[in-house]
Amino acid sequence: MKRAFLLIPALIITTVFSGCGQEEKTGELTLRVANWEEYMDQGEWEEAIELSDDKELFAENTLVDDFEIWYEETYGQKINVEYSTYGTNEDLYNQMRLGDVFDLVCPSDYMVMKLISEDRILPLSEEFFETSVEENYYIKNLSPYIADQYKKLSMDGKPVYDYGAGYMWGTLGIVYNPDYITPEDASHFSMFSDKKFYKTVTVKDSIRDTYFAGLAALNADTLTDPDFKADPEYKEKLTEIMNDTSEETVDEVEDILSVWRENVYSMETDSGKSDMVTGKVLANLQWSGDAVYTIDQAEEDGVYLSYSVPDETTNLWFDAWVMMKNGIAQDSRKQQAAEAFINFISRPDNAVRNMDYIGYTSVISGGEDDSTVFDYINYCYSAEEGEESVPYDISYFFDGEGAEGTYVVEAPPEQLHRQLFTQYPSTEVIERSAIMRCFDADANERISRMWTNIRCFRLW
Amino acid sequence: MELSLKRKYLGIPYLIFLFIFVLLPLFVIFYYALTDGTGHFTLSNFGHFFTNSRAIGTLIYSMVIALITTAICLLLAYPTSYVLSRSGIKGGAAWLIIIVMPMWINFTLRLTALKEILSFIEGNLAFHPFLNTIIGMVYDFLPFMVLPIYNSIEKMDTALLEAAEDLGAGKREVFFKVMLPLSMPGIVSGITMVFLPAMTNYVVLDMLYNSTYIMGSLIGSYFSAFNWNDGAMVSAVLLVLIGLLTWLTGRVSDDADREGARL
Repeated sequence: MKRAFLLIPALIITTVFSGCGQEEKTGELTLRVANWEEYMDQGEWEEAIELSDDKELFAENTLVDDFEIWYEETYGQKINVEYSTYGTNEDLYNQMRLGDVFDLVCPSDYMVMKLISEDRILPLSEEFFETSVEENYYIKNLSPYIADQYKKLSMDGKPVYDYGAGYMWGTLGIVYNPDYITPEDASHFSMFSDKKFYKTVTVKDSIRDTYFAGLAALNADTLTDPDFKADPEYKEKLTEIMNDTSEETVDEVEDILSVWRENVYSMETDSGKSDMVTGKVLANLQWSGDAVYTIDQAEEDGVYLSYSVPDETTNLWFDAWVMMKNGIAQDSRKQQAAEAFINFISRPDNAVRNMDYIGYTSVISGGEDDSTVFDYINYCYSAEEGEESVPYDISYFFDGEGAEGTYVVEAPPEQLHRQLFTQYPSTEVIERSAIMRCFDADANERISRMWTNIRCFRLW
Repeated sequence: MELSLKRKYLGIPYLIFLFIFVLLPLFVIFYYALTDGTGHFTLSNFGHFFTNSRAIGTLIYSMVIALITTAICLLLAYPTSYVLSRSGIKGGAAWLIIIVMPMWINFTLRLTALKEILSFIEGNLAFHPFLNTIIGMVYDFLPFMVLPIYNSIEKMDTALLEAAEDLGAGKREVFFKVMLPLSMPGIVSGITMVFLPAMTNYVVLDMLYNSTYIMGSLIGSYFSAFNWNDGAMVSAVLLVLIGLLTWLTGRVSDDADREGARL
């Protein structure tokens, strides 16, 4: 109670900044959406994407503007989207704790789980999962592979699938310059402690990602052991290892990361991308979406970079849209609008617009009726006529894990370790991927303490 | 009489500003620093800090960076200000503008440029993180040292210097016994404007690849780990420390003033 009283000054401060513009005019609906920076198409394209002979994609407005128009046309209701952005999951969480109210936000997997455990998210409605409704683009077009991953994941017995609608997903890997670094070297997390690459590689200044990489390096022998991989319970055991936050393990990872810290060029927050392009750095721990962006940018400057997913394992991550309880506040019109927003951006053509703009991979596959996403992949990556090509099978994404031969891209061989591979990892990569869960408060404290220890100056 | 009353009202907007943006946040900082996660009073947050060798290491590292930065800024700024205000070179004010001009350009942009220049000179920046940090800090804070010192030398009564010379003081004595004490207020405000921000400015470290935390980054790391109590505690420690330093330098400056008055 005392605490609530103390929050008042904090509330005054935040409402001074954000208090205006919240009153709702009767009749007009306002939807407050918060998303990552640079994470949705801004329109104003210079040229159209030709998906096939009779299909073209072009964006003039921002996707948010297009949603407002579409919503009014479809439901006869004027809507106004208040769109804001944040830089990290923690920023979003702190903003909301300080009193910012949103209806729809798009945090990463573990933050979704944290919000579920704090009972702050509204489950998606049953109608939202009804495939017979024309406008339910999300459920009709969601990749069956991704849907399976979501269904396996739960927090306090609540399946993530019922609470969060997927947006983008990807892996954690290493972008590297093949002129200086061999694919073999780039296929192990231990490269970050390799003296050969002294002060020429970077890792992320992000506790969870770098902890994951350190944990993989710590368990490298087990993780790459063929017997371990052949274990019928391989996936479960892998997930267990990659979510280990026991005191002892954290200490061991601390030792590994302390060595990395001395060996790497830096622990970068956002400079890694441009440093790869300018050649200051030869390899960089990176999320797949940023990797695509980096490879694209470098290519414009005539530098050809590759992406690798280490043999040990990779972090399969995703961001998902969730409806905040305090924002929606039992307003059924608002909930309907929030779900409509998710559906609109999940329409395959809009999913492609987003992918093209931000370089990340949408969870939308388009199902059997709509080939827009697959057409887009072919548009980007399939080999020109007469060019050498190899088949690249990504059927798992469109037809579910285990599927083969139905969705195959004939791509130039280099694409097997460049953008195509980065955006749609191969089946082998998928098999060795692990999801990193939300850690409890004690584990979080252990890991943050470890991180502070690594980063602080050592007196003795 | 009426006029002065009305003048008082002019201060009200600032008073409101002071209350909302200075006093309230201070109150919140101390509240979080002195409570645990459940809102109960505790001093254990401070215990965490002073028993953690890494946190103390960070404090000392920050102070070393800030001290070196301040010393170099002072060594560069004093002669520059002296020459600009006293030696009667043409267009002293124009030179001053050139020195201050970097302040007109966005800070991160300047650092990005500096990063490229240093890369060009050093090859691999990551080999000299400490040196780069000092260069970045000095580059960033130098104008804040030049301006107050320049002002205090500029305003100085030349008659006092001439009198000292007339009474037989050598050049060296004039400088150390008259000029330096008289310019002390400028030096002190320069030091406060450089030393304190240099202890927390982690952007320079981030951009010039120094992966070691200073106080600013340590505070940030607590907040991104949702540990508001420890984050607020470190801020409070820093606040008290800075308060202490300001008070100390203030006294030094007062003493210098008094000495100056005795002359």
